[in-house]
Amino acid sequence: MSIRRKLLLALLGALLATGIAASGATWFAVRKEANDLFDYHLEQMALSLGDQPLAAPVDFLPPLGQDYAIQVWDASGMLAYYSRNGAPLPLRSAGFDTVSVGGEDWRVFTLQSPDRTIQVAAPVTLRSGRAAAMALRILVPILASIPLYGLLIWLIVGEGLRPLTVIAGAIRRRDPGTLQPLPQAGLPEEVAPMVSELNALLGRLREALERQKRFTADAAHELRSPLTALQVQLDMMARARSPEESRAALDALRSGMKRAGRLVEQMLTMARLEPRRELAPRACVQLEQIASEVVGGLEPLAEARRIELRLERLEPSAVQGDAQALHALVRNLLDNAIRYTPAGGVVRLSAFAEQGEALVIVEDSGPGIPAAERARVFDRFYRLPGSSAEGSGLGLAIVRQVADAHGAQVALDDGADGKGLRVTVRFKSST
Amino acid sequence: MRLLLVEDDVMIGAGVRAGLRQDGYVVDWVQDGTAAELALKTEPAYALVLLDLGLPGKDGFALLESLRRRGNRVPVLVITARDAVADRVRGLDLGADDYLVKPFELDELAARIRALVRRNAGRAQAVIEFGGFRVDPSTHKVSYLGREISVSGREFSLLQALLDRPGQTLSRAQLEERLYGWGEEVASNCIEVHIHNLRRKLGDRAIRTVRGVGYVIDEAEAPCRSVASSS
Repeated sequence: MSIRRKLLLALLGALLATGIAASGATWFAVRKEANDLFDYHLEQMALSLGDQPLAAPVDFLPPLGQDYAIQVWDASGMLAYYSRNGAPLPLRSAGFDTVSVGGEDWRVFTLQSPDRTIQVAAPVTLRSGRAAAMALRILVPILASIPLYGLLIWLIVGEGLRPLTVIAGAIRRRDPGTLQPLPQAGLPEEVAPMVSELNALLGRLREALERQKRFTADAAHELRSPLTALQVQLDMMARARSPEESRAALDALRSGMKRAGRLVEQMLTMARLEPRRELAPRACVQLEQIASEVVGGLEPLAEARRIELRLERLEPSAVQGDAQALHALVRNLLDNAIRYTPAGGVVRLSAFAEQGEALVIVEDSGPGIPAAERARVFDRFYRLPGSSAEGSGLGLAIVRQVADAHGAQVALDDGADGKGLRVTVRFKSST
Repeated sequence: MRLLLVEDDVMIGAGVRAGLRQDGYVVDWVQDGTAAELALKTEPAYALVLLDLGLPGKDGFALLESLRRRGNRVPVLVITARDAVADRVRGLDLGADDYLVKPFELDELAARIRALVRRNAGRAQAVIEFGGFRVDPSTHKVSYLGREISVSGREFSLLQALLDRPGQTLSRAQLEERLYGWGEEVASNCIEVHIHNLRRKLGDRAIRTVRGVGYVIDEAEAPCRSVASSS
């Protein structure tokens, strides 16, 4: 049911009830007053008759019509006079009384003097009719005004609710792609908080959608490079004129395939991390444990590239976080180090706690990252100029994203003797 | 024919270079905008530039812009992952001659390169006919005076260079520039050797030596016309 209809019915109902109560009260009050007044009349009339000598019938009395009846009884109890046609009223003791005669109620005043009894009476309907007329006179205008009030209420409530209609219209006309905030100017204070909350939600949605769109566009764009490489290598294979050429093309094709696969895998990792709020509930995670798991997984790669993997310092270091995301962080750091370090190099991994911080440090003997590039390497799909083709450009972006979600800092420095790269991730320790 | 390939992706660069070499092109490959700029300033002999837009150092658009501002009219074929219409329009407005979106096939790339080179030389036909020669760049088939001749890759390139601007005399150094890329060992008499071999296959009159200047292919005389009409 609409607010408008509900208000209309409630207000009109209240108005009607008030009207009925007022006219009811009036009816009661008027009837009582009329009763008192009529009784007074009856009494006065009886008293004035008592003063009259009653030898003869009371001709002097004015014609009373059907509104009043007068009866006079003599001392012997005979009805000496009565003014009314029809059955006489029964004799009553002195004072006021109501009697029923021939189906009609009469109000009777009986005055007793030593020689006679005088009764003056009037029909009850007369007086209650007056009271009803008075009450009606109050009720009628109220009833008559109900349609007017209804219209007024309808209009006023409608006007009051107009901001809601305006907002509904603004939402209806909305292009689902834009998610622009709703207009907030001139809103009544009851509606403003709702709209501002809605706008905040729209803002968050817009950001999320924007991020997602950018990511999809970037991803589609980035996938083109490995696809192009695959296409070119495939063409080369088709053109091969000797087994050697064919074998070389096949090798190139295979590494191109591996590269495309790795890019897709990294994109998936990134996409899973993307809505930061949805990281798994925080649990206590042992970084040193994750580090040794990651090392276990990457040892074959390191071996294939003749890179020495050294676990330098593995000590209990606990943080609050998402184990899977932290795993991705350490794996990407180590994977990068292994891939960018020339054969025969060394990659060192440490995880330990120190002064209220938990640290993960990966250090390699590779070419390092020039200071000028260090800010940009965290950008998605950014690759260092001249770096090998197989990097996805997402590794450090993933590292940064996980670190951000955990409130951790990532620092890039030169390696120990000014060569290579050292990546330090600092978490707030939870122990 | 010598091309400059500007591509930062190692796999794509290596593959494209290998493929175009098979087609008889000389390919110089650079991986960033700055190196490309340098190459274009110092090596005047490129028949065409293959330009990737997303480059480290100097961006492809910027490279193209400064190239045209210097008045360099070398044909530029943009190869890029950016396929938005706005990007294409911008590329073409900045002076690119053609636009190829990744991923592409080597054969299409080769066809577009041939078309651009041809257009740049002011020819509408794919097959070059001049001085009794009939040279098809897409199949590498050569015929002279109606007779099919088998030539090596270098010999084909040399003929193509001489026929690129018919009647133009090219010096030995100019021919070397067009025939050999960076890091290729060039013997001092290699052009003479190729000319010698060609003359052995074609006869002495096919390529004329201009004393102290270089070599030229002259417009054919009467017998050629008769050959052209009979074929």
